[in-house]
Amino acid sequence: MDNKREEILKKREEWEERTLKPALKRFGLKESPTKFYTPVDVKEHNFLEKEGFPGQYPFTAGTYPTFPYQPAPRRGIHVAPGIVRAATYSGYGAPEDSRDYYKEMQLRGQRAGPNLAFDLPTQCGYDSDNPLVRGDVGKTGVAVDTLRDFEIIYEPFQGDLNLDRIATNWTINAPANIIIAMYAALAEKRGIPLNKLRATPQNDILKEYIARGTYILPPRPSMRMMRDSIVFLTKYMPGVNITSIGGYHIREAGATREQDLAYSMAILEAYLQEGVNAGLDVDSFAPRFSVNAFGGSMEFFKEIAFQRAARRMWAKILKEKFGAKNERSMLLRQSLMAAHMGYFNCTTRRPLNNLTRSVVGGIASALCGGPPRCYPPYDEALGLGWSLEASQLSEDGDRILQYEAKLTEVMDPLAGSYYIEALTDEIEEAAWKELEKIESMGGMVDAIEKGYVQREIAKSAHEYQQRVESGEELRVGVNCFVGESELEVTINRTVPHPYNPERRQEAEERQIAALAEVKRVRDNHAVAQLLRELKAKAKKVDENLIPHFIECNKAYVTGQEVCDVLREVFGEYGPVALV
Amino acid sequence: MSEEKKVRVLIAKPGLDGHDRGAKVLALGLKAEGMEVIYTGLRQIPEKIAQAAIQEGVDVVGLSCLSGAHNSLFPRVVEPLKEAGMEDILVIGGGIIPEEDIPFLKEKGISEIFGPGTSIKEIADYIRQNIKRR
Repeated sequence: MDNKREEILKKREEWEERTLKPALKRFGLKESPTKFYTPVDVKEHNFLEKEGFPGQYPFTAGTYPTFPYQPAPRRGIHVAPGIVRAATYSGYGAPEDSRDYYKEMQLRGQRAGPNLAFDLPTQCGYDSDNPLVRGDVGKTGVAVDTLRDFEIIYEPFQGDLNLDRIATNWTINAPANIIIAMYAALAEKRGIPLNKLRATPQNDILKEYIARGTYILPPRPSMRMMRDSIVFLTKYMPGVNITSIGGYHIREAGATREQDLAYSMAILEAYLQEGVNAGLDVDSFAPRFSVNAFGGSMEFFKEIAFQRAARRMWAKILKEKFGAKNERSMLLRQSLMAAHMGYFNCTTRRPLNNLTRSVVGGIASALCGGPPRCYPPYDEALGLGWSLEASQLSEDGDRILQYEAKLTEVMDPLAGSYYIEALTDEIEEAAWKELEKIESMGGMVDAIEKGYVQREIAKSAHEYQQRVESGEELRVGVNCFVGESELEVTINRTVPHPYNPERRQEAEERQIAALAEVKRVRDNHAVAQLLRELKAKAKKVDENLIPHFIECNKAYVTGQEVCDVLREVFGEYGPVALV
Repeated sequence: MSEEKKVRVLIAKPGLDGHDRGAKVLALGLKAEGMEVIYTGLRQIPEKIAQAAIQEGVDVVGLSCLSGAHNSLFPRVVEPLKEAGMEDILVIGGGIIPEEDIPFLKEKGISEIFGPGTSIKEIADYIRQNIKRR
């Protein structure tokens, strides 16, 4: 192999002199605008060690050995026989608005459980009647204050679509244990055993401090909540994923690709450590860690390489750092898509270009081990919620890639490409370097408390913007190709959005009235007692609070009432000033 | 002639929306353009933003919202400024603001909306051209 290496290097020099240089001269170029990769560029590529087979350690080639998925007939999810999945992200207004939306979707043939978006007050542990949150109620998702709201939202999910037949997701982080407990309370009321429930709470608080902002308590008490999640779910709700982490939000906030990967892994390590510290065997809970998504970008090949590196890194961390023995612990179980275009690349100018961009991302996803997912729909940047036209084209994109372009017929088709293997190694190496920095600070929680991660991300975001401003970073139709000769192609969305805008507008008033009624009718003595008990239990570090949350939910204690007790005991997070 | 005073800008995030990449990048960018910028951080009550603007004696307030609550939150910043006789503070906004909401916001006193894709230079130039110095 050494001889071959030297021979290639020699031939490369000759090529550069005799073939490349004259061509550059002819085109008046000082430097070649292209690169070319040879076997020499891949450091010691041992197939079995660095790549292996899909569905086996180190999982570079894929999390699973095969791709059995098909795009579902409705609403953009991929399904396979024997797999139960929740539907597309949805939810708005007051609970009855979302309930009616799900009823309508069911009339159109949808049988999957809700993948719930909550409004910001719910996500931040505030009730709909709190004057401080006026204006935010029911906007980014559905308002949930008490168990009553879950009873209403899940009304269409009974009979053969009852809680033991569906999977449901919740994009909830700081109050995740309260929402998990709310679903448990609902199940108990319906006589459904907790171990039959399938759900994925996002439950990834650490990224909130650095990218998304729906934190409540400071980091350390929040990690105690994560411990509660790991222990309780492992024991009582083994069909529920413990967390859905991932650098998606981190990258969207401005992080580089390498930071995305490094910080995601650092967060993974922090959560795993909580389970280990609680005395659990890593193989007993790691298989129910999942990934929401990582970030993406338009740099097609780099995103493919990123996903391969991510799988390999996750597997190595579980095996080598945490001593996992079960290969199921090493699986990077990702949700509906792998590589993608990067949502921050969606433009408001010439929005149909976003469809083109989403297809680039969909192809990258298909080629790196994910389903072909042309996401997001092209009108992402134009407002909250996508039009049905845009959703249709997005789903048709998936179908075209799978059935016409046949992109899912070969697993990891770019494996062995000198470029892709070199790129995968490079991204992984850079991520390990940054991860080591975090570890030397004591881990992600420490790094967040020091403000290191937040500053790094802000710096990356600032540098990216400078490149856009200078034209170094090209955005078609935004900072280039914007002359008078260009056509500003506009779009026409005619099908009414499935969310009723009038209902969304007055949802806040309705929910405030409904909440007042709940507070009037419930046993307020019991509520006060439960809150007193909560305070006492919260102060005991070894107490798992989820069973008590279930009791609180059954008594129609509100989310804010619970969170206010926690705020009292643990304090509130005050962000690090950066600007 | 005395040295020209730097333009003072307050960048704020009203409501619970936690997506602050744009706000931060704009704050840093306007600083690089020679302005003095204060960034309030997340979860600001609209009326308090107005108070801070008056206290800090800023020339411009920039509001960022990506949660769809802009129609409710932005006017609640402008109102107290009007009541305090401070209408000459330029109020601009950005984030995810559907086009159909822009006329309403302008009617309520938001001078201009700068959505995704706007360059920092564009915003800096607008500020310099539209600022009403006190």
